[in-house]
Amino acid sequence: MAAEKMDVEAAEAKLKNMAHSEQHYFNSYNHHGIHEEMLKDEVRTKSYMNAIVQNKHLFKDKVVLDVGCGTAILSMFAVRAGAKHVIGVDMSTIIFKAKEIVQANGMSDKITLIQGKMEEIELPFPKVDIIISEWMGYFLLYESMLDTVLYARDKYLAKDGMIFPDKATIFVCGIEDGEYKDEKIGFWDNVYGFDYTPLKETALAEPLVDTVEVKAAVTDPCAVLTLDLYTCTTADLSFSIPFKLSCRRDDFVHALVAWFDIDFTACHKPIRFSTGPHTKYTHWKQTVFYIKDVLTVQQGEEVVCNLEVRPNDKNRRDLDIKIDYLLETQDVTRKAQGSSQYKMC
Amino acid sequence: MPSKEQLRDVEPVSDSESSDSRDEEGWNDIEEDEEEVQEVISLLDDRVFPDVMSMLVHCKEKHNFDFLAVRQRLQLDFHGCVKLVNFIRQRVHEGLPVSEDISVADIDHEQYLKPVLDDDAVILGLFDLPELTPTGLVSQGDNAALVNDLLKQKADLQEELARVSAQFERYRATVSQTLDERWGDVDQADKGKDSAQKGEKEDESQYYWDSYAGNEIHETMLKDTVRTDAYRDFIYNNKHLFAGKTVLDIGCGTGILSMFCARAGASRVIAVDASAIIGKARENVYHNGLSSTITLLHGKIEEVTLPVDKVDVIVSEWMGYCLLFEAMLPSVLWARDRYLRPDTGLMVPSHTNLWTAPVADPDWVADNVGFWHDVYGFDMHRAMARGICDEARVLHWPRDRLAGSPCAFRMLDLYRVSTADLSFTAPFASTLDRDVDALDGYLVWFDTFFSPTRPAATAPADDAVADAWAAAAPQERVAFTTGPAGKETHWKQGLLLCEQSEAAGPAARKQGDRVAGEITFSVPEDMPRGLAIKMTWDEGRRSQKWSLK
Repeated sequence: MAAEKMDVEAAEAKLKNMAHSEQHYFNSYNHHGIHEEMLKDEVRTKSYMNAIVQNKHLFKDKVVLDVGCGTAILSMFAVRAGAKHVIGVDMSTIIFKAKEIVQANGMSDKITLIQGKMEEIELPFPKVDIIISEWMGYFLLYESMLDTVLYARDKYLAKDGMIFPDKATIFVCGIEDGEYKDEKIGFWDNVYGFDYTPLKETALAEPLVDTVEVKAAVTDPCAVLTLDLYTCTTADLSFSIPFKLSCRRDDFVHALVAWFDIDFTACHKPIRFSTGPHTKYTHWKQTVFYIKDVLTVQQGEEVVCNLEVRPNDKNRRDLDIKIDYLLETQDVTRKAQGSSQYKMC
Repeated sequence: MPSKEQLRDVEPVSDSESSDSRDEEGWNDIEEDEEEVQEVISLLDDRVFPDVMSMLVHCKEKHNFDFLAVRQRLQLDFHGCVKLVNFIRQRVHEGLPVSEDISVADIDHEQYLKPVLDDDAVILGLFDLPELTPTGLVSQGDNAALVNDLLKQKADLQEELARVSAQFERYRATVSQTLDERWGDVDQADKGKDSAQKGEKEDESQYYWDSYAGNEIHETMLKDTVRTDAYRDFIYNNKHLFAGKTVLDIGCGTGILSMFCARAGASRVIAVDASAIIGKARENVYHNGLSSTITLLHGKIEEVTLPVDKVDVIVSEWMGYCLLFEAMLPSVLWARDRYLRPDTGLMVPSHTNLWTAPVADPDWVADNVGFWHDVYGFDMHRAMARGICDEARVLHWPRDRLAGSPCAFRMLDLYRVSTADLSFTAPFASTLDRDVDALDGYLVWFDTFFSPTRPAATAPADDAVADAWAAAAPQERVAFTTGPAGKETHWKQGLLLCEQSEAAGPAARKQGDRVAGEITFSVPEDMPRGLAIKMTWDEGRRSQKWSLK
């Protein structure tokens, strides 16, 4: 235990030397709350569990790498599925809790846990057969660990190795959200009788992580970006993609909402889960982008959009997002075009 | 949101409040820099010129020294020119004559790369000199063309200079106007930052100011109608207390309380906040036409310079989780002692008291503690539930999950309390109002009182309850509770979860049983903005500590 304590101290010293934003990212995971929330997110945890334990034929006698292992729940699923050995890696000091948990469950000889940055540590195996990771952030990419997973893939994944999950898709649709937009954005027009419009601009630039009701959807969802984890690169995480939203009914569009689906295609019976408004709640909720205009749309019309996403230059865990929209109609009074900048930080 | 602040920095008007390294001296620096660009001191005498070219023309005409010709003859690059300038300056400084027959060997010493004059505008201006003509191409005719070129460039540069000077004048006018209107209205936060870097304890507070820089926390507070309505109602219902008065708003945030006071008739409001949100407050104040009444100061209250010696009213929303978390009250008390008019000054709010009650909720405990025993078939209890009872949790607790009567254990009279009083031990007692299988913990909350008169007769009793006290004089008194019986506030309540140990004997208790002991509030040594709570009960047989981080 004394040695463990020194490990913890060394890890904390290491964390102290990092840039503040990085430190915040890793330290925020040290609290129980976030792990409790993630473990209690059944859509997430059960999907991973099923993808792993229902595919013993894939995991049996394999060497598995768990990137960002947290409390090591996925590592333990892999052991349960028959893995020869699992390496769990996490920068956060939660990994010392993970060590205790692994020990309490009698898996210490099957799971090696390493505290550190993937890019800086040395694995006890030159290659791994399977990479498992729950790397997704809000809006898929915010504070995501995908770049670390891709690094691990390029460095450690054996030829014909597998990645769980291996596909991620970002969806966008337009929603009617007048009441809530008024509450979130219109609020600043009159705060106890005062004009607070300076804060309104900030509010418009902050995407809102919240749950959206499926009945709010005015357009069909559109799959904007699909990431194949076997082939994509970090360059693919900066993108500018045009897409079209077709309107299902006559209504107003106040915002675009984004979510993502996750696929484990390597499974015997493919497993997929969605974080969209049409299905069960997840801790990722959805991400709402309020636009400046209110679009008055008719059934069958299309809104032409473009989504641009780039990691922020100063803090690459923050995202700079730009959404362009254009509603072309014969009716000049409804014609609308605009562009909004957002920052997730 | 650092990037947004930087965007705002581009606008001169809001510049004076931004959190960057701009203070009063900073402005002077900029002026000096700009003026030095205009001041080109002659190489050969004391005369001053607006640009390098006119100075060189002067040297040629007056002293028969053609700098450009020497440069041309020696084929000097930029560094060569720097050496030439410093060589000349050195000779002039030593009182030696300077002639055109300088050789490369004369100036070829490293020492001449060091400026003789600090911030020598001639050296800065070397970039603007015409290109060197390659050797062999210079004829008499070319010389004439060169002179024409130089004259044209000179004219262009003078035009450019005039444009930049005009721009800078406008810029300076805007700044001085801002400063004149509200002389104290400058960024004093940097002083704080400097000293913060000296002392580690203070340095740790930076995260605290940063945490208030974003929108969301202010949205939460403004939308907490229990909180914001209380301040509004007290200020608007008691306009006579504010009319013509000087008010100090400590931790002004978006400026809402300052604007309430201004609208209630205050003649002057000084609003102080160390967080970058004050930039938004300034915009809000401006948009609402209250700039002439409200002066905003960016910095810590202990470090900013107020434009007045005394104030009539201190208004502040300083309350934290479990009242004292975040430790903002000591700053308010410091300001009270330093700035509030003795005998007549008003504290808004004027009193707060702390409450506790025992709780029992086996379902909640099962969901939040028991959960770790079986997580998808794995046991995480030892690792994840250890320490679960060491931290106070901030949550909204339903009234019907209390197990006994609430007890007011500490009244803070904001006219009299001192910072030392904020660490204390007080007795508490509660009678259980139902049978419970176990005492799962204690809930802590506070009530806040706004009294329109200074203490004594009208002060709330130590165990005053917000609603009842305010109802006794509804025209002028305002009070609110953050307890489980009131409407939910953003402070919620603090839950102190008790360890369940078999060693402590049977845990079940009966309706009517008394739970009593002592509660201690203190500030942890390593966490100056944290809070440590200790409770002792069952005649000292049970005792536990919690921290709020």
